Amino acid sequence: MTAFGKLIRTTAFRLTLAYLFLFALFAASLLGYFAWNTRRLITEQITSTVNAEIGEIDDIFGRRGLRGLVFTIENRALRPGANLYLVTTPNGQAIAGNVGSLAPGVMATNGWSETAYRRLEDQDNADHRALVRVTQLSGGFRLLIGRDLEERKRLFGIVANAAQWSLLIVVVLGLAGGVFVARRVLRRIDAMTGTTQRIMAGDLSGRLPVGRSGDELDRLAENLNAMLERIEALMVGLKEVSDNIAHDLKTPLTRLRNRAEEALASSGSDAEYRHALERTIEESDGLIRTFNALLMIARAESGQARGNMDDFDAAEVANGIHELYEPLAEEDGMTLRVKATSTRLHGNRELISQALANLVENAIKYGTPAPSAQPLSAGAADSAESREILIEARRDGNQVLLSVTDHGPGIPEADRKHAVERFVRLEASRTQPGSGLGLSLASAVATLHGGELRLADAHPGLTATLAIPAADTSERVAGQTPDMSKTG
Amino acid sequence: MRLLIIEDDRESADYLAKAFREVGYVAELAADGEEGLSLAETGDYDVLVVDRMLPKRDGLSLIGALREKGNRTPVLILSALGQVDDRIKGLRAGGDDYLPKPYSFAELLARVEVLSRRHGGPAEETTYRVGDLELDRLSHRVVRGKDELTLQPREFRLLEYLMKHAGQVVTRTMLLENVWDYHFDPQTNVIDVHISRLRSKIDKGFERPLLHTIRGAGYMIRDGIR
Repeated sequence: MTAFGKLIRTTAFRLTLAYLFLFALFAASLLGYFAWNTRRLITEQITSTVNAEIGEIDDIFGRRGLRGLVFTIENRALRPGANLYLVTTPNGQAIAGNVGSLAPGVMATNGWSETAYRRLEDQDNADHRALVRVTQLSGGFRLLIGRDLEERKRLFGIVANAAQWSLLIVVVLGLAGGVFVARRVLRRIDAMTGTTQRIMAGDLSGRLPVGRSGDELDRLAENLNAMLERIEALMVGLKEVSDNIAHDLKTPLTRLRNRAEEALASSGSDAEYRHALERTIEESDGLIRTFNALLMIARAESGQARGNMDDFDAAEVANGIHELYEPLAEEDGMTLRVKATSTRLHGNRELISQALANLVENAIKYGTPAPSAQPLSAGAADSAESREILIEARRDGNQVLLSVTDHGPGIPEADRKHAVERFVRLEASRTQPGSGLGLSLASAVATLHGGELRLADAHPGLTATLAIPAADTSERVAGQTPDMSKTG
Repeated sequence: MRLLIIEDDRESADYLAKAFREVGYVAELAADGEEGLSLAETGDYDVLVVDRMLPKRDGLSLIGALREKGNRTPVLILSALGQVDDRIKGLRAGGDDYLPKPYSFAELLARVEVLSRRHGGPAEETTYRVGDLELDRLSHRVVRGKDELTLQPREFRLLEYLMKHAGQVVTRTMLLENVWDYHFDPQTNVIDVHISRLRSKIDKGFERPLLHTIRGAGYMIRDGIR
């Protein structure tokens, strides 16, 4: 498409054309109205002066007779720029006036008419037009008084001329304005198109230019930029995930392979083979779990699980998870308690349960007080409290908080943000089994529901909280990156 | 017991057929959706094992077509799509159970057995009996020999599920799905702890244990001598 073609196809240009047409129509009708009114005014003026003069002349004729009439007419006819006068005898002979010739039949009919005429003194052959009135005087004499219409014609000419010019100016200025506006818009759109093409070509860091006027295009560009921001963040996340998958799945896979190879190479007993195979299955089960967790996170982060949401009670989830994990905690020498107030939540129940389960599993795994941190003087009561894990469900403002508090070593403030990332297993936990995805999944689930995962100090220990908008406030506005809260 | 396995991956299909034949099943194979549908319609099978993604006709549409014709043979769906909503979709399409890939054969076998039993079994009983253990589903009373046992509600449901499938292997995920209604995979041995609590209530102090751990698969409740 040529540049011109592109230009005239812009909405701005088309709108300009439409406005131009409207304005031209408006100007034309305004001038038309003006011309018509002027014409009416001139005609009215002529008729009133002519009527007055006829009355006057009639009066003179009545008082002074034919001589007075002829004298007055001849007198008046000689004035410069005079009206038209003609007096005829009953048999049609002209006896006074300044009219040389008339259209035939004009003199015979009384009343107003528009006619071509020629003055007596005129040498040219051009016909002029005049508005005349003919009356019958007593004694059969006829009187014609009229006014040349040249003035009216001239005025009309002026108006027509003005109309032409103004239309021309409107059209030229309008077109120029249209082209200017269209080009301006087009330039900005072209800039946007250029950027989007660069982005499509793979440069995700590109951003649309945003002007300062804050108009609709700027707002559009801002929104698109926000969208690009999110896409870029997702892409970066995706790349991180694939890097991490490559790293963290390859390690156990290599281990798996090595073990199989080793078993194959050694000439061991049946029992040894068996053992090697069992280890292989164990290892691959672990891999599958990691893989499932990764898929789940990806799913939650991409928002696909949003279809399966309904209203449910957060307390039920807390109680259910408590019920499931209470024996396990007890076996590990901990006490799992629950404190839940009934509060409605809108979301994917399964995912929220799993997120809470992950937090509880973490608390059971890592929530044991570090032996060195236990002062020797600590009594039995203190120790019982420090081995307690608390699941809480409550409403805070328009948020539903599902939290798990342990009294273990906690996570140093500096590490908290880091802890949520995929595969991160803090130094202290390297020796424990697990995929390192528990907190990431919990965080992804919170984000999916438009909330966040908060990690806070429990003095000592860790409080991990899923903060999710309550059922009545949640409008499925997921998407923002979770922000770590610094305080409990 | 006759099984139809509809799976397009030749190696997995052969592996499954072999494994099922080893435990005494008659297993037939179909490699695509169309073949699977025509076999399922004509043959008399106890359970169909259907891969979700199949050439020519996908698993869910196959099940839909079968159900539409009034065929009620239990179907277990195998799928690489393992998320909760995929599962719900599969069950809604007419599947009776859903097992995400990769799975262990023990898990698959346990589920197929439960399915086949469900199909042919009698109407739900009100009382389950295994050896001298008796569970009354209406009054929620559990009696072993002459002793009445006190169980927590969840322990009762756990025992109820185990006894309903007495003599069959029940896996940990089956328990988590059916007793707790969770479909995620815990990273810890939560189920084992619940089982050991239950075991201490029903087997402790009795000469013959009823609740058995099946290594590499799950649990089974059964009277030792039958």
